Amino acid sequence: MALYNKLSPSAAEKLRAIVGDGRFQYGETVREEYSHDEMPIYGRFLPEAVCLAESTEEVSAILKLCHEENVPVTVRGAGTGLVGGCVPVAGGIVLSTMKMNKILSYDMNNLVVHTQPGVRLCDLAADALAHGLMYPPDPGEKTATVGGNVSTNAGGMRAVKYGVTRDYVLAMTVVLPDGTIMKLGKTVCKTSSGYSLLHLMIGSEGTLGVITELTLKLVPKPRMDVSLILPFCDIATAIASVPAIKLANLDPQSIEFMERDIVDSSAAFTGNAVFPTVVNGKEAGAYILVTLVGDSEAELTAKMDRLGEVAEKAGAYDTLVVWTDGLKKDVWAARSAFLTVIEAETKLLDEMDVVVPVDRIAEFLVYTHDEAVRQGVTVRSFGHAGDGNLHIYCCSNDLEEDEFKRRVKELMDRCYAKCTEFEGQVSGEHSIGHAKKAYLRESVGETAYGLMGAIKQVFDPKGILNPGKVCHDWEGGALDA
Amino acid sequence: MLNILVCVKQVPDVNLVKIDPVTGSLIRAGVPAILNPLDANALEAGVRIKEQYGGTVTAITMGPDQAAEALRECLAAGADRAVLLSDRAFANADTLATSYVIVTAAKLLGEFDLIFCGKESLDGATGQMASQLAERFDASQLSSVLSVLSVDEEKKTVVAERELAGGVETALSTLPCLMTVEKTKLRPRIPNLKSWKASRTAQILRYHSQTIPGIDPEQIGDPGSPTKVPRTYPPEKGPGGEMIREGSAVKDVEKLLGLLADKL
Amino acid sequence: MLNKNDCKDMWVYVEHEGGKVLPVSLELCCEARKLCDAAGEKLCAVVVGELHRSEIEKVLLCGVEKLIRVRGTGYDYFNVDAYAELFTKLCRKYHPSAVFVGGTINGRDFAPRFACRLPTGCTSDATQLVYDPRTGDIEFIEPAVGGKMMAVITVPVMRPQVGTIRPGTFKHVPSGARSCELIEETIDFDVEKIRTKVLDFVPDEVDESLNIADAEVIVCVGNGLKGADTLPRYRELAELLGGKVGCTRPVFDRGVLPYKLVIGQSGVVVKPKLYIAFGVSGAVNHVTGITDSDVIVAVNRDPDAAIFGYATYGIVGDMDEVCDAMIAQLKARK
Repeated sequence: MALYNKLSPSAAEKLRAIVGDGRFQYGETVREEYSHDEMPIYGRFLPEAVCLAESTEEVSAILKLCHEENVPVTVRGAGTGLVGGCVPVAGGIVLSTMKMNKILSYDMNNLVVHTQPGVRLCDLAADALAHGLMYPPDPGEKTATVGGNVSTNAGGMRAVKYGVTRDYVLAMTVVLPDGTIMKLGKTVCKTSSGYSLLHLMIGSEGTLGVITELTLKLVPKPRMDVSLILPFCDIATAIASVPAIKLANLDPQSIEFMERDIVDSSAAFTGNAVFPTVVNGKEAGAYILVTLVGDSEAELTAKMDRLGEVAEKAGAYDTLVVWTDGLKKDVWAARSAFLTVIEAETKLLDEMDVVVPVDRIAEFLVYTHDEAVRQGVTVRSFGHAGDGNLHIYCCSNDLEEDEFKRRVKELMDRCYAKCTEFEGQVSGEHSIGHAKKAYLRESVGETAYGLMGAIKQVFDPKGILNPGKVCHDWEGGALDA
Repeated sequence: MLNILVCVKQVPDVNLVKIDPVTGSLIRAGVPAILNPLDANALEAGVRIKEQYGGTVTAITMGPDQAAEALRECLAAGADRAVLLSDRAFANADTLATSYVIVTAAKLLGEFDLIFCGKESLDGATGQMASQLAERFDASQLSSVLSVLSVDEEKKTVVAERELAGGVETALSTLPCLMTVEKTKLRPRIPNLKSWKASRTAQILRYHSQTIPGIDPEQIGDPGSPTKVPRTYPPEKGPGGEMIREGSAVKDVEKLLGLLADKL
Repeated sequence: MLNKNDCKDMWVYVEHEGGKVLPVSLELCCEARKLCDAAGEKLCAVVVGELHRSEIEKVLLCGVEKLIRVRGTGYDYFNVDAYAELFTKLCRKYHPSAVFVGGTINGRDFAPRFACRLPTGCTSDATQLVYDPRTGDIEFIEPAVGGKMMAVITVPVMRPQVGTIRPGTFKHVPSGARSCELIEETIDFDVEKIRTKVLDFVPDEVDESLNIADAEVIVCVGNGLKGADTLPRYRELAELLGGKVGCTRPVFDRGVLPYKLVIGQSGVVVKPKLYIAFGVSGAVNHVTGITDSDVIVAVNRDPDAAIFGYATYGIVGDMDEVCDAMIAQLKARK
């Protein structure tokens, strides 16, 4: 039985009428890039049409039509996801938010910004800074849209101090699958007012509704900050320092870890060898990168002193001070380039975004490396040491794709099981999409997974919004029926 | 023991400087002042020589009080002492007057074997300072140096690789020698906590026109500068061509490629 | 000190290499010719060392009225010591009003040095030269502060007015030979006093992608470039168009592309048939390097970007998106 209909030519013309010729792609004009995200290993699915909406009203009209026509709608931002979340696996149309890219207004009294969802994170961050404010969530992928960030509850490098995207969403406008427009949340910081549909929407990966406007909380920009690089002999020693750093009462803004080989690759790729590889005559095998913020140089110096002591006890080769703006830019640019570097160097790529308790990070990484060796797959990792969120990339340049997939599945089955054993999470910030559904189910158990499915059913009884994702099972075959 | 001098400059981050659309003047407020990036490479070159052969590295700059921050950056990254030449009378100096002040003051500090400069500054970008410093130090001169290969203290020579238009030259010069440094292998080091902290409280040697004996007031600042800047103006906007506005990138490009048909 | 009105003649140092006069020297002769016409002064070329008659002819065709030929020891290969001393001596003897030197590595080394020794004022990288009959001074006009403003620089009292000028800034359009006075000088420089010796020279491996000066099509990426990872599409586009990739100064400063690809005042001057600027703001120090392009296409997110002022065609939009669309459509045509 076909669950969904194909987009009929007449329905396509109606969509064209809604968004206009210039923002509509249909049939042959649909661009290939809409068939995948940054993890093409999970398959390519070309949509039947693409609508680049510009307003809530357009989104509403599109959804109303598709709801009536029983055509799937997959929302897509910048397409920088890593789990196939924005890929139309069941066909239908892609609804792009990229033209909803305006920052609408600032409320300087209440420290909030109203924005459309298609604004890129880097643009929002820069614009907020120009207003003397900071948008704290800071995921590595700066060209992602804020809408995408909210839909995946993205975390990023500053989560250890400021929390994640969820903590900065105060309100939003959402269009439900049948086209109903709804506002959720208010511009206030507290609520004890019934079930939080707002928070249900955050991290729901476009399966419950389409976000068309956001009210985000900002904070005053910290007066001063400094980053410190702690080089270690190996990753286990590096990670072992993290609990002590957290205990030192420094309130760090971020604690990142990186292994030597990815630092080397980043240096070769960007031409900017900013991380020293030999420190005090010793080869560094891994690094911890800490950022501290404060009101004055004296405050920062006191914090740095404490960090220096902790680092030395933990076996760091030295404590390097990234003080000048130019150096900060270089260091963080190198850090932000890691995924890009891996993508550039690797033919076949898959990833895990697990979260484990901070004191199990090293153990988990060792386990993963050992398993990878057994499977003959290269593993490269970096991530947020402060919150236990690890980005682990499985890479191969010589295996056949099917063989790679088989081995990576084997590897991941074991690693996710280990993660569950460690009381960890399947994904910290990249989400589930269609790639990690089975691991989610395994991890949360049947009861929770069933509840998630039931919630999806309440919001989207026809299942037209981003089918086949998170907890929604779609049997496939509709398009061929 | 080599006596090494590194001449540095604090510059506004020109990429962040904006122009007032009404008055056409520069908006410098809020634009961070930074150590001229190539000067950081020059410092690294000097510090590496010190580490290999022994010696001391002195960083020197002429500028306002705030330029001390650039010197602290040098101290953190390996300079042993820092000298700030600051006086209203030094203001509005061109390269001739600036080189005069720096060299006159530097001669109070001793005789230098090696002098390093960045190849040019981010803001002025004349690239003339080094030649004029070399002239006033009566030093040999190696520009666009990629790396210093060796220093022979006995024979008083230095061998360095230079980047020229079509290749890399290896050249030998006698000491004292002034070298300008390219943005290349000489990446400045990141200071450790100890040296960073030391740099924040270190004493900076300060001179002004009254404390440099024998300095000729006619050769400093505006009077000492043969080049003048009688006026500046915002660059004229071009007349502009045809804007293509077809509603989407794909259609814009279709139209463009049509217009360019005879060029492709 | 001499009165500046007693200083006459504008000089161009004729730099030659491998028996050939460098184009920049011919460009300077042609531009200085115009200044001399405006000032009523004579254009004088200074040739140091042996140079074949046919090459001298090229110089004379630019309207040279005096030729100083210098022979002597110490000039066989370029060295700052001999050349700085030579020009100090020549200037002290003949009192030119101006000396123009090509902004090559060598020119930029010795010109400020002899200016300092004389002493007089020295400027570098002017993109326009204007004679001001009111003051009798040359206005050296150049982009300043990263090209955000134009600065007029003069040397109002001292002489000569020394300027180094980048290759490609001016055009080599010979105005024809004039009657020319020949002055022969023999000035020896003690070779023992040359402080720098060349030990070795290793030519760069010829990487044609780095030679953009003569490219017919140039795809230029500016500071709007999101990151090194977005570069491949521009390389692909350049390849499809049979051209090369260039960049603006900030892209080099960010460490994304090598210096040899920098187009503009502090880089290469280009003259392609088609120049496409992606994410280029249009700072004047970049624009000075592209104005001789036949067609300039600008793509920028900012509709107010200065680059649109110089463009033949402009598209406001995301640079990557436009580039991708161009690649797709060019491929479809082939």
